[in-house]
Amino acid sequence: MQNKLSIYLLFSLLLLALLAVVSLYTGVYVFEKHTIAETISGIFNNDGSVSDSDRFVIMDLRLPRIVMGILIGSALSVSGTCLQGMFRNPLATPDLLGITAGASLFAAITIVLGAYIKPYIPEVFHFSLLSIMAFIGALITMMLVYRMSTIDGKTNIVVMLLTGVAITALGFAVMGLLIYLSKEEELRDLTFWNLGSLGGATWTKNGILAVVIIVCYSFLINKGKALNAMMLGEKDAEHLGIPVEHIKKQIVILTALMIGCCVAFAGTISFVGLIVPYILRLIFRSNYHIILPLSAVWGSLLLLTADTISRTIAPPSEIPIGILTAFMGAPIFIIILIRSRKTM
Amino acid sequence: MLEAQNISYSHRKFSILEGIDVAVNHSELLVIVGPNGAGKSTLLSLLANELGSGKETVFFKKKTFREWDDKELAHSKAKFSQNNSHDIPLTVQNVVMMGRYPYFGSIPRKTDEEAVLKAMQETDVSHLAQRDYNSLSGGEKQRVHLARVLTQLDNEVENTLIFLDEPLNNLDVLHQHRIMHTIKKFTQAGHTAVMVLHDLNLAAQFADRVMLLKKGKIVSHDIPQKVFTRETISTVYNFPCTICPNPVNNNPLIIFGT
Repeated sequence: MQNKLSIYLLFSLLLLALLAVVSLYTGVYVFEKHTIAETISGIFNNDGSVSDSDRFVIMDLRLPRIVMGILIGSALSVSGTCLQGMFRNPLATPDLLGITAGASLFAAITIVLGAYIKPYIPEVFHFSLLSIMAFIGALITMMLVYRMSTIDGKTNIVVMLLTGVAITALGFAVMGLLIYLSKEEELRDLTFWNLGSLGGATWTKNGILAVVIIVCYSFLINKGKALNAMMLGEKDAEHLGIPVEHIKKQIVILTALMIGCCVAFAGTISFVGLIVPYILRLIFRSNYHIILPLSAVWGSLLLLTADTISRTIAPPSEIPIGILTAFMGAPIFIIILIRSRKTM
Repeated sequence: MLEAQNISYSHRKFSILEGIDVAVNHSELLVIVGPNGAGKSTLLSLLANELGSGKETVFFKKKTFREWDDKELAHSKAKFSQNNSHDIPLTVQNVVMMGRYPYFGSIPRKTDEEAVLKAMQETDVSHLAQRDYNSLSGGEKQRVHLARVLTQLDNEVENTLIFLDEPLNNLDVLHQHRIMHTIKKFTQAGHTAVMVLHDLNLAAQFADRVMLLKKGKIVSHDIPQKVFTRETISTVYNFPCTICPNPVNNNPLIIFGT
């Protein structure tokens, strides 16, 4: 089973590449040349065979959006898997714990109040201010939820979920207030956070996301064994030589960082961290050694599929991507609840 | 091997253990017995470095646990806990394989697979290897964890140390004896075992030394013949008993209620 991981990974990556190409060529805009190969080679050769508008649609609209979908889907799904390992419960996901809400709350405050603080902070930080604030929001929420729900290494699932509900409610309240107070231009930004969209993708954002994700994955992606051992209980994991406290700190900080960045750039896209680990668990049980690396690729698959559907299903407009993921995620949420109601 | 002097532990000002001295040699099986609330499990946790109390008083091979390297320690010391998780959505083989985590990076080597199979045979769970852990009975789960702990110490290290907190609960007679024989074999190979047991007769039959605790203090700590006397046992357990030599092997045989 364990040795097959690389085969599964390779297969999933191929699927992702295929999906990316399909997604690149799907959309409202129709290219002048009608085969994918011609258009792509035209762009690479730069021989003038591809019109400026074709080039613009591919290089500045679709490709950055696809890349962002891949990055954010992957980050959200890995965050969910890591949190589930840490809390030892399949319901521990960024959105249900209120971490997404905490991050978007801070992001929203930054959008509305940002205009007032901006003159007082160095220029370099203007662009990253939003992500930093979202990261801080995610981190504070995560620590709050963990402190409230976990005593002596045992998590009370009900308290965990209800803390998430409370924080989400607070988030909604503040968001409502901000919408009421905000000017028209800020209002458009705020609506975007609530619904979540990959429409704002640019290469700069992708660059920041990619760096964050590479750094986080270099610490997290090989923690499968540790998360497996933590299912035994934290003390027993320590007897196996696993530095539990250290790993928990890494997970808290790095997932907060990833969630913060995702929320800052694409708003709240819910349920990805619930759906992907759930499907993987159905196939591979809870073997984190396999599902953690695979969730990185399958998260991309899910979000890229959802985004491609969201921008093609009702042309010429787009439906918010959060609606699609919620349609998939909510039933799964209910299934997990039914399954675990005896133990809660 | 394992030494600790004057261990005390209290929880919220309520004293659980007071002034306990322990010294266990290699090739020795120490069994800790005592009535409920005597502090047996707490003592085992303290000795196994589970309650980082800050006061470093336990020495394993002349070093405190803090001086050990995490991985090296995992090769030399293992613990079977009483409260094993009931919800581990993996196969039995995957759970036992966790005992080999200190030995491989990401993919188990052939020696790890072999150690897992061997330990599963030892605790009689080989036939359950591909079953879901969650579908097993309490006693079967317990044997799975015993296999996991045994396979963790299946290595070339001399004088390893195993802690077992009531490993025989939920087990039938056959498996109780099988496990005790396995542990005995383990200590006879030069290793050390410290075990909490409720069954005094099993303790009398297998232990090299017995530590009898009551209310956080040592009542008696000696070879079974000296600990298991009618007077001591009936006072400590507050229940009448008779002790006679076991007709088969002459170890003390404790009969309660007489």
